[in-house]
Amino acid sequence: MQPDRRDISRSDIAVELIGVHKRYRQRQRADSLRGLIGQLRKPEFRIVEALRGIDLSVRRGEIVAYAGPNGAGKSTTIKLLSSLLAPDEGRVRCLGADPVRDRRQYVGRIGAVFGQRTELWWDHPIRASFEWKRVVWDIAPQRYTRALDELTELLDLAELMSTTARELSLGQRMRADLALSLLHEPELVLLDEPTLGLDVLARRRILAFLARVNRDHGTTVIVTSHDMAELEQLAGRIVMIHRGEIAFDGDWSSLRRDVNRHRVLTLETDGARAPAIEGAQHRQSAGNRHEYVFDAGAIGLAVLLDRAACQCEIIDVETHRPPIDEVVADLYERWQRGGTAD
Amino acid sequence: MADRIPVGTLRSIVQLVRLLGLYARMDVMWIARARSTAVTFYLAEWVLGFGIVASTWLLAERFDGIGPWSRAQVVFLLGYSLLVRGVVDMLFGWNVAHISRRIGRGQLDHMLLQPVPLWVLVLAEGFSPLSGSGLALSGGVVLWLSGEGLGVFTPALFVLNLLASVAIVIGFSYAWASLAFLAPRAAEEINSSTMDLIDQVRAFPLDGLGPGLLGVLLSVVPIGYVAWLPARSLLGLTDSPWLVWLTPLAAIGIVSIGLSIFGRGMRHYRATGSTRYLALGHRR
Repeated sequence: MQPDRRDISRSDIAVELIGVHKRYRQRQRADSLRGLIGQLRKPEFRIVEALRGIDLSVRRGEIVAYAGPNGAGKSTTIKLLSSLLAPDEGRVRCLGADPVRDRRQYVGRIGAVFGQRTELWWDHPIRASFEWKRVVWDIAPQRYTRALDELTELLDLAELMSTTARELSLGQRMRADLALSLLHEPELVLLDEPTLGLDVLARRRILAFLARVNRDHGTTVIVTSHDMAELEQLAGRIVMIHRGEIAFDGDWSSLRRDVNRHRVLTLETDGARAPAIEGAQHRQSAGNRHEYVFDAGAIGLAVLLDRAACQCEIIDVETHRPPIDEVVADLYERWQRGGTAD
Repeated sequence: MADRIPVGTLRSIVQLVRLLGLYARMDVMWIARARSTAVTFYLAEWVLGFGIVASTWLLAERFDGIGPWSRAQVVFLLGYSLLVRGVVDMLFGWNVAHISRRIGRGQLDHMLLQPVPLWVLVLAEGFSPLSGSGLALSGGVVLWLSGEGLGVFTPALFVLNLLASVAIVIGFSYAWASLAFLAPRAAEEINSSTMDLIDQVRAFPLDGLGPGLLGVLLSVVPIGYVAWLPARSLLGLTDSPWLVWLTPLAAIGIVSIGLSIFGRGMRHYRATGSTRYLALGHRR
């Protein structure tokens, strides 16, 4: 009998990285002829620490967003989890297996989608790629038919089945690639920039689909993207990596709280002149509407409204958090200046 | 017998057979997608096959043979060499023989993400019995035109030598392809060069070369085994009948060396991965 993968109460770990280090040797190029000749004799290398002692565990059934600026180590981590790379130090265990040593069995239990690549057969109809998957992954006929029917319906692929991959739009191709990666009902799905280059509608469909697969099958999902709003919509947990180290691991509200406590306050008053409110910074005005920014951790909204009400009549009040992209941009900026998330 | 084979290996062999069937079906679908494609494809293959053997054939016609080789024996050599190349294309098509392209372009990841041993994928992924058969058919026709063979050697020895020659081409290619693990961009096309080298030399009778050069062509650059030595020994042109076993023995050695070097390259790939990725060429 198969274990219920939705049950994550028993310390049911899908992915575990313990003290993982990964280094690359990067050849240094000279910018003069003399330097080039010297390097022919004695090449120079720089060691790039892609991952510096990463500790991470993901429970079965979780959706984890894995984010960070370019070159932070996201793709290296995904490659380690996909069995494409071995760590230099530390231990990687996924679904109870060592991804590199147990590659053959392990990759039969995961699905991987890399946004810029396709597993579809270029000159064959989509249906032929699915049939290819069935044979290579040795999927039982009943299970295959069930999964194919479900994926065809959820991803609206029926009309594309006889179309070759080269004739598909990017969004259609990505939907077909996602279906292909899930056809064997993997326990763990690794998605590296799965929505790169897609339009809003295609993104929304794919995000909704992933959420449903996670809900219905208890599939563990680890997804990287630069689109924070998209990640927030999909994942309950965000792990942020910076220069090869985990800089934040928690939920979205904690990230907002820890990184950016700023709120935007918009007041509609009886006059065109913006009242000066101590504790809030005036950003802009348009007619009778005045926009301020304040630190919600330092001062309460009621206090600000009291202070404003002393100067004018308040007709309407709006307050909102800054978009998650802004929060993360703040965080990246802070990292560049040398700070940390906390 | 079967109980001596480990279960894992037996399962891999079953998997290999299933995959060969799958790729054969996909190949039929690919070539049959349009009649014009199929016709053009085969026409091009026949022209290519003729181009490869034309110069040697014309020389043999003009001088009624080359050295100790009669005209018919030269045609047999040409047919054999063409058949070797044809079988390589048929069994290791789609950049499986040109594996340096897959390594250099970062496409090896596609193979590693399949729950199949790498050796099974190498033997199965390039199987293209229709689209890759053009040169093999040309080779068969040229062999038939030579009129040589019947009664001179047994078909089993012929097939053994043919497969050994194919294995030597692949072993040699994979050994050189391993450079692409170290220098993906620079060595991406190194298998084009190894194949060109084989194509240019394999169809010539190598008799008369000095022992030094012949030694090189039967060791470091083992092109002598691709057609010349097996054809010579199969036709009984050698001093010893035992030389007919030399190509299969050399195949074991060269494939072992090729696999050993390639294995080291794979370990390097596991440690460094690929920083390049080009989609071109890993899907037909």
